[in-house]
Amino acid sequence: MTTELPPGLALQKVDERIMTLNVGPQHPGSGHMRIIVQIDGDYIVACDPDPGYVHRGEEKMAEYRNYITNIPHLERPVIHDSCNILYPYVLGVEELLGIEVPERAKYIRVIASELNRCIYTMYWLAIYGIFLGHSTMFMWPAGDRELLIDLMEKMSGARVTHAHFVPGGVRNDLPPNFEDVCLRQVNYFEKRIKEYAAIFYDNPILIARTEKTGILSRQDAIRLGTTGSVLRASGVDYDLRKKEPYDVYDELDFQTNVLKEGDSYARSKVPWLDMMESCRIIRNALEKMPKSGSVRVKLKPNPKGGDDSVYKRVESGRGSLGCYIVSDKKPEPYRVKLSVGSFRNLIALPYLLKGEKLGNMPSVYWSLNYWPVEADR
Amino acid sequence: MGTATGIIKALNSGIKHIAIKRFTLRYPEEKLKFVGDGYQFDPSTGVGIAGLKGRHMLFHDHCTGCQLCSIACEGVAEAIAMVKVPDQQTQNKKSIMPQIDYGKCVFCGLCVDACPFYALYMTNDYELSSFSKEGLIYTPAQLAVKPYVTQDSEIKITDRGATHG
Repeated sequence: MTTELPPGLALQKVDERIMTLNVGPQHPGSGHMRIIVQIDGDYIVACDPDPGYVHRGEEKMAEYRNYITNIPHLERPVIHDSCNILYPYVLGVEELLGIEVPERAKYIRVIASELNRCIYTMYWLAIYGIFLGHSTMFMWPAGDRELLIDLMEKMSGARVTHAHFVPGGVRNDLPPNFEDVCLRQVNYFEKRIKEYAAIFYDNPILIARTEKTGILSRQDAIRLGTTGSVLRASGVDYDLRKKEPYDVYDELDFQTNVLKEGDSYARSKVPWLDMMESCRIIRNALEKMPKSGSVRVKLKPNPKGGDDSVYKRVESGRGSLGCYIVSDKKPEPYRVKLSVGSFRNLIALPYLLKGEKLGNMPSVYWSLNYWPVEADR
Repeated sequence: MGTATGIIKALNSGIKHIAIKRFTLRYPEEKLKFVGDGYQFDPSTGVGIAGLKGRHMLFHDHCTGCQLCSIACEGVAEAIAMVKVPDQQTQNKKSIMPQIDYGKCVFCGLCVDACPFYALYMTNDYELSSFSKEGLIYTPAQLAVKPYVTQDSEIKITDRGATHG
């Protein structure tokens, strides 16, 4: 019996060998998203990532709030990396309103942003460890992350969701004696993350599970538009802190970490190497920072932008993070568009998982540095 | 490096940690020490003073009932409502003061930045849990009480690792 199907619908031919498996959205191994995997025996034939379960309408909400009250809700997508997700928005609003930021505020922002990058990466590393069955690697980063959360809390008054950056600088000056405490804890933190090499990155069991799985070639990485650690693990030297330096990154001494392999192991190693660079940046910034001075420019109560639009991007923990703001002479922005690294890296997942074993899925998926909430906004 | 040496090195790295003191904090008995007295704001310079963003503190003798804190909260959490207070203050003609619902507050501190009269600041008190929703609503009279906080644990870094001493 054949029945007419309504236009736009088609019957899918079912292969008896192929099984469709829904990983997520409630499975802890996937985060708040679903991966529809088709498997033939133990091998993945096709894969379809299905994000959108934690869509919060951040961009629409931003149209009803003024430039200052947008700050607390815009950092909600990535509460661990809240300074970095605010950074492009704040830089954009400063350009729209024509504000010049004091020198000391620029350095404080760089320090806060690097601390946040480490906090995010440690959280990601803890998850990456536990999904590879390495429970020590969950405990250690989750504990050592406390050193930096403590610094952020001294600096901004909140352990996550700091709301520290504002157009025109930062909310408050550093507390007294912060430089010494910061230097001491960052040095100890760097010593600690170097210890991860023996237990995690040089561990033959981890190498056996992640090496040569989910290989993303240099050409594919560029063609698919991946960013951040995924791009740098495939041998492309692209870091926005070097290529388009914002604030004071051009005055600081650091290098980008590029690995050529493009497999899960390289993708998990680049953020770890980046954390050591972050420690170097923080030390360098503490040294060069002006010891006193203003940290915030006074704004009018309800600042209005001109008839203008601006696009700014920064390097976040997950790659390039852009913010496009359109203003139309009102206290509220006309449009705020966030372009996030997580969503752009997710596109590579179907290409990486094809032909892999199902058991390798967590190691490939989490190596993409994907944060579901940020991708959905 | 061979597989066996790699595994032995990894195990060795973990075993070393048996001798190291516990890093985590035993929360209800030990509490973290925070910078200063809480987040404050100086309207004359327009810059805040670092501190924890915890429960608010309201000074009845400074509050004029101008509603700026409530307006600042409108787009954020809508946690602040202006309510009538019985006590008469000379500077507060309308006798209205903020009442804060901690079920909604996100502790961003924008209300503190908005206050031009040094009437509102945030304290180190973060233990606000309650059995009912009504218990989370703090009236102006409750906000005027300075919280009693004992917090003394700090991160200490020694040769044998970091602890919350």
